[in-house]
Amino acid sequence: MSSEFEISKRITIGQYVPTGSFIHRLDPRVKVFAFTILVLAIALNTSYIGNTIGLVLSLYLFWVSKIPIRYGLSGIIPAIPFIVILAVLQLLFQGQLFSHGKVYVDYGFILITSESIRLVVVSAVRFVEIIFLSSVLTLATSTTELTHSIQSLLSPLKKIKFPVHEISLITTIAIRFVPTFAIEMEKMMKAQASRGADFGTGGWWRIIQRTKETFPIIIPLFNIALSRAEDLILAMESRCYTPGGERSSYTTYQIAAKDYLALVTGLLFAILLFAYPFPI
Amino acid sequence: MEPLIRLENVSFSYKINEQTKVPVLRDIDFSIYPGEYVAIIGHNGSGKSTLSKHLNGILTPDNGDVWIHGYNTKNVNQKRAIRQTVGTVFQHPDNQIVATIVEEDVAFGLENINIPREEMRQRVDEALDVVKMSPFRHRPPHHLSGGQKQRVAIAGVLAMRPECIVFDEATSMLDSFGRKEVLQVMRKMNDKGMTIITVTHHMSEAAEADRIIVIEGGQIVMDGPAREIFKHKHELEQLQLEVPAVSQMAELIHNRFAEFSKDIIQESEFIEEVVKLSKEEVS
Repeated sequence: MSSEFEISKRITIGQYVPTGSFIHRLDPRVKVFAFTILVLAIALNTSYIGNTIGLVLSLYLFWVSKIPIRYGLSGIIPAIPFIVILAVLQLLFQGQLFSHGKVYVDYGFILITSESIRLVVVSAVRFVEIIFLSSVLTLATSTTELTHSIQSLLSPLKKIKFPVHEISLITTIAIRFVPTFAIEMEKMMKAQASRGADFGTGGWWRIIQRTKETFPIIIPLFNIALSRAEDLILAMESRCYTPGGERSSYTTYQIAAKDYLALVTGLLFAILLFAYPFPI
Repeated sequence: MEPLIRLENVSFSYKINEQTKVPVLRDIDFSIYPGEYVAIIGHNGSGKSTLSKHLNGILTPDNGDVWIHGYNTKNVNQKRAIRQTVGTVFQHPDNQIVATIVEEDVAFGLENINIPREEMRQRVDEALDVVKMSPFRHRPPHHLSGGQKQRVAIAGVLAMRPECIVFDEATSMLDSFGRKEVLQVMRKMNDKGMTIITVTHHMSEAAEADRIIVIEGGQIVMDGPAREIFKHKHELEQLQLEVPAVSQMAELIHNRFAEFSKDIIQESEFIEEVVKLSKEEVS
C-alpha cells in the first residue's frame, strides 16, 4: 500500500548510468555536438543502406558505452504505437507524393509504390535510431554535464543578446527541484489519502475522474512552488546574483585527443550519411 | 572601534495596499562590532526576521539608515559590496541551494562576483573543509540530510569571505543532531574572528552567543550580554520567551540546594557545577 505514494524513490533525474566507459568520459560538449549532427544527418538520409549504417552505429554506441541495450529498448516501447500509426498513415495516404517508384497497389485513393514503402520503412527505422542515439547521450551524460555543455555550445548566441546563462540557470534549478517536489507531492498525497482521498482507483479510461483526483495535489503544490521560489530569490540575491551580470564559471572541460577523435568520427559518419549517394 | 553594522532609527512597515501599512520595525537603533556573536530573539511576529533582512539590504528601511561598513543599504550601487560583507543563511535548507552538485552550489556566489577560476577552486575547497562537507562535494543536494544541506548553504556564504554571517532561523528546520552540527560551525567561525548574528527562538542557541538583543513589537526591549539577559526570567516570560532549559533546571536545583548556582546558561557550565559540588562533597 505504501509503495503507491513513494514517488521520490521512483524518480530518476535524467537516467544517467555510470559505467565509466569511453563515451562517459568524453567531453559533454563534444557528445552533444556529435549527437546533434548525427541526428540531423539521419533525419535527412532516405536510403536503406544509410539507415542500416545508422542503426548499426547506434547499437555499437550502446556496446562501447557498456550500457545494457534494454535501456534503449525501454525507450522504444512507449514509442511503438506512434511508430505504427505513423507507418499506417504513411502507407495509406502518402503514396500520391511518391508515385514515381514501382507501383504495387493502386486502389481508389490508396497508392502503394516502392518509394512509399521506402518512406514507411526508413522513417520507422529512423525513429529507432534517433531514440537509441539520444538514449546513449542521456544515459552516458549526467544532467549537470548536459546543461553545462548546452550553455557552452549556445554561448556564441550571447552576442545577439540571447540570455544563454539565464536559460541554463533556469534548467539547472528546474532539475534541482524535481526530487524536492516529488517528496513534497508524496507528503501531500499521504496527507490527502489519510483524510479519505482516493488516488488512482478509477480505471485509466475515466480521464475526468482521474484529472479531478489530482486537483487537491496540484493546487497546493503550486502554492508551495511559489513560496519556495520567493525564498530562492532571496537566497540568490543574498549571494550577489544579478541577472545579465558578468560571471565567471566554475566548471571547465578540457578537450583532449580522445574528444577530437570522437568529434571527427561523428563528423565523418554524419557526412557519409548526408552526402554519400547510396545505391538503395 | 568602528561598528561593522550600524542601524540608526530604523523603521519599516509592510504595505498591504495604498492605505494600510503594517508597521513591523520601530526606531531600531544598535551597532554590531567586528568579531561579535549576537543573538536576536523574539517570539513569532516580533519583527526579528524582518530586522535580519535589513542587515544585508534585502529590505531597506522606510525611515532611518542601515550602514554596513559605511555603505548605506539604500544605495543601490553598493548592494554588491554590502552582500559581500554580510552573508545570510536562511531557514529552509532546500530553498537556498541552486545547483545540482554540492561544489557547484558553493561556487554559485563566487561565479556571481566574477572570481577567477583558480581562486574559485581554492575558496570552494576551503569553505567545504570548514563545514566538513568535502567528502560530499560531488553529491547532488537531495541526497543530503537537512543539517548537511544547511552546512552546504553555509559553505556557499563562507566562500564569499564575508565579514559577518546572519543566520536567519537557520536551525529551525533541523533535528537536534543537525542543529548541533550547524551550531558547532557557527562557534568555530566566531572563534576565527567572524562576526555572527543569529536570529532564533531556541534559547539554548541564543545562550551560545555573547550578546542578546530582544525584540518585541518591532522594538528593542533588551540588549546585553547573554548571562545578564537570562537573569530577567520574568520579563522574558512576559514577552513569551523563556530562559534555556539548563537555566530552568539549574534554578529548580538551586531552590532545593542553595549552593548550586542558578546563574547557568550552557550545558557545559551545568556539568562543571555538578562536578565542582560533588568534589566538595567528597572532600
